[in-house]
Amino acid sequence: MSLTRSISSVFTIAEMEARKIRHDSTELWMRSVQPALWLLIFGEVLNSVKVLAPAGYSYIQYIAPGVLAQSVLFVAIFYGITIVWERDVGLLTKLLSTPSPRSSIVVGKAMASAVRGVFQAAVIFVLSLLLGIQLRLDLPDVLGVFGIVVMLSICFSSFSMVLASFLKTRDRMMGIGQVLTMPLFFASSAIYPISLMPTWLKYIAYVNPLSYVVDALRSLLLTGDYSSVPLDMAALLVATVFFASLASVVVKRLVQ
Amino acid sequence: MKAVEAANLTKVYGKVTRALDDVSFSVDEGEIFGLLGPNGAGKTTTIKIITTLIKPTSGTARVFDTDVLRYPQKVRQMMGYVPQAVSVDGDLTGYENLLIFSKLFYVEKKEREGRIAEALDFMELTGRADDLVKHYSGGMMRRLEIAQALVNRPKILFLDEPSIGLDPFSKNEVKNQVKELNKELNMTMIVTTHDMLEADEICDRVAIMNAGRIAVIDTPTRLKESVGGDIITAKVSRGAETVSLPGEVGRLLSYEGGEMRVLTENGEEKIPKMIDFLEAKGMVIDSISLAKPTLDDVFIKYAGSRVDQGRYVEARSERRNFARRGR
Repeated sequence: MSLTRSISSVFTIAEMEARKIRHDSTELWMRSVQPALWLLIFGEVLNSVKVLAPAGYSYIQYIAPGVLAQSVLFVAIFYGITIVWERDVGLLTKLLSTPSPRSSIVVGKAMASAVRGVFQAAVIFVLSLLLGIQLRLDLPDVLGVFGIVVMLSICFSSFSMVLASFLKTRDRMMGIGQVLTMPLFFASSAIYPISLMPTWLKYIAYVNPLSYVVDALRSLLLTGDYSSVPLDMAALLVATVFFASLASVVVKRLVQ
Repeated sequence: MKAVEAANLTKVYGKVTRALDDVSFSVDEGEIFGLLGPNGAGKTTTIKIITTLIKPTSGTARVFDTDVLRYPQKVRQMMGYVPQAVSVDGDLTGYENLLIFSKLFYVEKKEREGRIAEALDFMELTGRADDLVKHYSGGMMRRLEIAQALVNRPKILFLDEPSIGLDPFSKNEVKNQVKELNKELNMTMIVTTHDMLEADEICDRVAIMNAGRIAVIDTPTRLKESVGGDIITAKVSRGAETVSLPGEVGRLLSYEGGEMRVLTENGEEKIPKMIDFLEAKGMVIDSISLAKPTLDDVFIKYAGSRVDQGRYVEARSERRNFARRGR
């Protein structure tokens, strides 16, 4: 009973986000400009550097999954700002005054960020195809990609909500978001292989959930070699459960 | 059964800030109960504890006999809460705002549409239901906020500063709708406000709070009586230097520089008598005015300071910013 209620609340909060996007999706279209530039400029220019991509793949092929992950990450990592905004007006307080359990509100908000993430991923997907980037497009692979996008969004938006619960202002969230995005992006396998990194950076890359996400996306979209996917998913799952649970516990700090 | 019973609520922030200090009161079913006081008096803290949003440092509260600390979800299922700040989503339509909340309140699917239509109708928003809320006026937003709470058919409704930042016309509308809800649906309400006039008009009983404590609880009428009667002030330009009024008019408090101040009861009825009396004495009256005690006076008597308006401006500009966003 209470589980079905929780699940229904999670989807209601996500539905709220989907309806907002239906009314106005400008922000998401704007947000897809940056990943487009990564592919169009960065990808095209470095296409000639042969050492970056594994044999048999062009560089632009190599970074397409990375750019996909990055664009979803950026949406998620700034999601805490939305929560702070909703706290500043009374919306969060009102959500928390309904009988819906706190954890379902938090997971619902994370799912809401996933709705945005999926939209974003779809745009990048189409863009990659328009640019003629060769990707594997079997239905199970594509579904897998969107599954990973959902989990990635939940993971990092929960992380962002944890930060929001402590930082409490939009300005600070903007600041911390800027601080975090680039290190997360560069200390991962998104745009170059981990094997090229100096040792200290490798360690960071190994604890960075984004590395596992990118690795799984590459398996699905490029190589079709699924041997490392279970490990990738396990790592992402651990991080997601950890951050979502933590966010459910600390979010009450925002209404106190 | 009492709608709300709060006993010895205390909330301490950090180590020293006592936001709430041993607050106890009870609210009857069907009553409109006002929590009145300046900003920082502890009104919102009290409401947040009863609505299970924050936990008291000590003390207990029960809503329709359900302990807010032990069964918060059960309490939330039977209440509606309209916070002080804007709590509707401007990027959704009015209808969508209600739909989402009816789902979060677990209103059964077959009942949803009926309840939404009813809430819209009650708050007179049916015609604008499909417009985005960011295009609503402040008064409409506030009404939608109340409608949002109504889809749950709450037994008790908490309104935190319901008329803050509204223009006089919208203020009046909201006030009337609150009274109507209470009368037609027998809904118990707890209203916080620092607007003494508003409390006087809508509340059956008020608790005056100051610095985290309740100074006094009573009906507005009795509270006003407790600060004394009406004051008639008359300006006379010609006549005797001294005068003694008959007891049926009232007691003369002062008579200096042609200005006469008289303490009385039912001042409206005493003014004609006073005019007759003074004119019979050959005096010429230039002006006459009546001052009746307000809850402001009650407040000054019990809480010892005037209600400041600082936060009012702040909250209003917040509402404006919200309205401006997205335009």
